[in-house]
Amino acid sequence: MTGAIQFSSVSHTYRPARGKPVLALDGVSLEVKDREFVALLGPSGCGKSTLLYLLGGFIPVEGGSITVDGKPVAGPGPDRGIVFQNFALFPWKTVRQNILYGLQKQRVPKPERERRTKELIELVHLEGFEDSYPAQLSGGMKQRVAIARTLAVEPGILLMDEPFGALDAQTRALMHEELLAIMRRSPKTTVFVTHDVREAVYLADRVAVMSARPGRIKEIVDTKFPGGATPEELLQTREFADKVDHLWKLVRDEAIRAQAGH
Amino acid sequence: MVWRAFIRALPLILLAGLWEILPRSGIINPEQLPPASAVAIAWWNLLIGGDLVTNGISSLINVSAGLGLGIVVGVLAGVLMAWYPKVDAAVSPLMKSLYPMPKSALVPVMILWFGLGAGSKIASIFMGCLLPVVLSSYNGARGCEQTLIWSAMGLGASRRRVLWEVVFPAALPEILAGVRNALAISFILLVTSEFLVGQRGLGYLISFLGDGGVYDAMFAAVLTVAAIGFLADRAYLVFMRRTLQWRE
Amino acid sequence: MAGVSEKSSEWSLMALRVGSVVVLLGAWEFTARLHIFSDFLLPSLSTVLLRLFHDTVSGDLVHGITLTLIRTAIGFVAAAVAGVALGVGIARVPVMRWFFDPLVSAGLPMPKIAFLPIFMLWFGVFDASKIMMIAFSAVFPVIVEAWAGTQNIDKYMSWSAMSLGTGRKQFLWEIALPAAMPQVFTGLQVALPIALIVAIVCEMQMGGEGLGGSIMTDMRFADSPGVFSGIIAIALVGVVLVKAMELLRRRLLVWHQETQTS
Repeated sequence: MTGAIQFSSVSHTYRPARGKPVLALDGVSLEVKDREFVALLGPSGCGKSTLLYLLGGFIPVEGGSITVDGKPVAGPGPDRGIVFQNFALFPWKTVRQNILYGLQKQRVPKPERERRTKELIELVHLEGFEDSYPAQLSGGMKQRVAIARTLAVEPGILLMDEPFGALDAQTRALMHEELLAIMRRSPKTTVFVTHDVREAVYLADRVAVMSARPGRIKEIVDTKFPGGATPEELLQTREFADKVDHLWKLVRDEAIRAQAGH
Repeated sequence: MVWRAFIRALPLILLAGLWEILPRSGIINPEQLPPASAVAIAWWNLLIGGDLVTNGISSLINVSAGLGLGIVVGVLAGVLMAWYPKVDAAVSPLMKSLYPMPKSALVPVMILWFGLGAGSKIASIFMGCLLPVVLSSYNGARGCEQTLIWSAMGLGASRRRVLWEVVFPAALPEILAGVRNALAISFILLVTSEFLVGQRGLGYLISFLGDGGVYDAMFAAVLTVAAIGFLADRAYLVFMRRTLQWRE
Repeated sequence: MAGVSEKSSEWSLMALRVGSVVVLLGAWEFTARLHIFSDFLLPSLSTVLLRLFHDTVSGDLVHGITLTLIRTAIGFVAAAVAGVALGVGIARVPVMRWFFDPLVSAGLPMPKIAFLPIFMLWFGVFDASKIMMIAFSAVFPVIVEAWAGTQNIDKYMSWSAMSLGTGRKQFLWEIALPAAMPQVFTGLQVALPIALIVAIVCEMQMGGEGLGGSIMTDMRFADSPGVFSGIIAIALVGVVLVKAMELLRRRLLVWHQETQTS
C-alpha cells in the first residue's frame, strides 16, 4: 500500500448557520508522491487546515476530487492518521489506553497489541508514563502520545495540523528532531500544515505556499536538503536561509492581502 | 423571525393539541386529564369568579414580602461581610450552619413560630431567599478589583463611600444572578408552605380544588402558578439585562 | 520565619471558626435555658439532642430515614437514567432537540412542586406519586448538564476517534459518554439534594412515615423538640449524601481531578 495523494481542483465553500457562504478553497491542485513530506504553508484563514480535513475525510469533498492511490476519499479511516494542535487525547484514558485504542478497534490480537504499544512508547520516549493520564503530562509529552496513538494503526499517510503550535520553542525544536527520527525509521507520506516558515523548510521535502482566502496554491518550493549535516549545521547554511527568506516573503505578501481584503 | 418563533413553539402547540384530543376521544381518562378546553374554561371561571384574583393577591403579597426582605437583608449582610472582617466573623458561622438545611424542611418550624397565616409563609420564603443572595453579594463584593478600590481610596474616599460607590456596583452582576436564583426558590417555598397550611393563596387554592374533586379547575390553578413562575423569571431576565446595560 | 507565622495564623483562624460555632450552640442552649422564648418556640439544644438520641435508639429515626432514602433513591435513579438519555439525545438528534428544547427551557424556572396534586391524581396517594414527583423535579438539572456535556465534546477528539476506526454506534458509548461524564456527574450532584428535599416535601404534604411525615405529625402535636430534631436529622442526611457524591466523583473522575487542581 502506497500513499500517493492527488488533489484535483479542490474547492470548498464554508456555509455558516448565519451569514453569507464564504469560498474557502478555490481550485487547489497538488500532487503528493508516496512517502513524500509536504508542508502546507500560508497565512491564517487561507484554508490549509480545511484542505487537510478534506483529505482526512472529516469534511465531505464538494468541488473537485481528492484521491489516495487513485481511489477517492470517502470519510475518515485508519489509512490517514491525523495529529491535531490541541493533542485531542482521550482524557479519561491513560497513555497506554490511548495508544491501544486504535489497535483495539482493528481487533489486533492481544499479545500483538501489547507488543506494538510497548514499542511505540519506547519510540516516543515515554517509558514510565504508561499509566499516567493526559492531564498529568506536559504539552510535549501529550503530543508524543498523540503521535504514538496515530502511528499505532500504521497509517499509510500522516496528517499533521500545526501539531507543535501549542508548544514552547525549545520543546518544538526537540519534537522536530523526534519527528524526523520517526520518519527516518519508517517513512510515510506526510502532509504537514503550519504557518511557521522555518519549521516548514526544515521538516519538509517540498513546501506548498497557499494564497490568502480563497485558498489557492501560490507556489511550490523544493526544500529537500542533502543528508549528513547536523541540525545546527543545516540551520546555519546559506541555502537554508535563502529558502526561508524566499518563502517568508511569499507568505508575508499573502498575509498582507488577507488583512486588507477582510 | 415570526416563522422561527413558530417553529420553536410548535412542540408546545402539538402537545396542546394532544392534550385536547386524547382526553376527548377517551384514550386517556378525562377524569384524570381534563381536556385543554375544559381547563381553559375552568380557568376563566376562576378568574371572573374572583377566586384566582383573591388568592393570587395573597400569594403575591407573601412572595413580595419574603423575597423583598430576603434581598434587602441578604445584600446588606453579604456586602458588609465581604467588606468588614468583624461582620464576617460574627455572621458567617450563622450562615454556614444554615447552609446544609434544606429550606423547605424549615417550613414546619416557621409554622410553629409564626402560626398558620401569612407570617409563616413570608418567613419560609425569606429563609429560602436569604442564603443565595448573601452568597452572591459576598462573592460579588469580594470579586471587585483591588485596583478600583485602591484608586478610589487614593482619591480620598472614605471606606464607607468606597463600599457603596465602587464595590457595590462592581458586585451588581453577581448579585442580580443570585436574586434570579432566589426568585425561583421563593416560588417553590410559596407553593410548599401554602400547600401545607393556611386558608389563602394559590397553593391553598390548588389543594382545595383537588380535595374537592374539581380537577379541571385544579389543573387551571396549577398551570397558573407554573406560568407565573416562568413569566417572572423571563421578566426578571429582561430587567437584569436592562440594568446591566445601563451600567455600561 | 514566614512559615511559622503562617501556621499560627492558620490555627487561629480555625480556632475562630470552631469557636464561633461553639458560641452559637452555646447561645442556643443559654437562651433556651433562660426561657427568653418559651420552651415551645425554642427548646433547648440539650432537649433536642436528647430527643434525637432517643429516636435513634428506639429505631424510629432509622426507620424514617430509610423510607425517605428509598423514595429518594428510586426517584433519583429514574431521573438520572431519563435525564442522561434525554440530554444526550437532545445534543445528538436534531428532532429531539426541536421537541424538548422549549419544554426544558419552559420547565426549568417553574416551581415544579406545584404539580404535586396532579401527580397525586394520576398516581394515587402512596409512594408512586412521591417517586414520580421526585423524578420529575430532579430530571431537569440532569438533562441540562448531560446536554451541555455531550454538546461540548472537543471536535478534534471526535475526529481522532473516527480516524482511528470508531463506528457510529461505538462512538456514543466509548467516546461521547465518557467525555461528557464530568458534566453529567455535576448534574447528578445537583439533582440528588433536589430529590431528597422533594421527597421530604411530598412526605410532609401526604403524611405517613418518613422524615417529612414525622416532622408534620410532630408539628401538629406541637411537639417542638420533635420538629427540631427532625430538622437536624434531615440536615445530617443531606450533608452525608452530598459528601458521598463528592467522594464518588473523586474516585470515578480521577483523570478529571488532575485538571481541576492544576
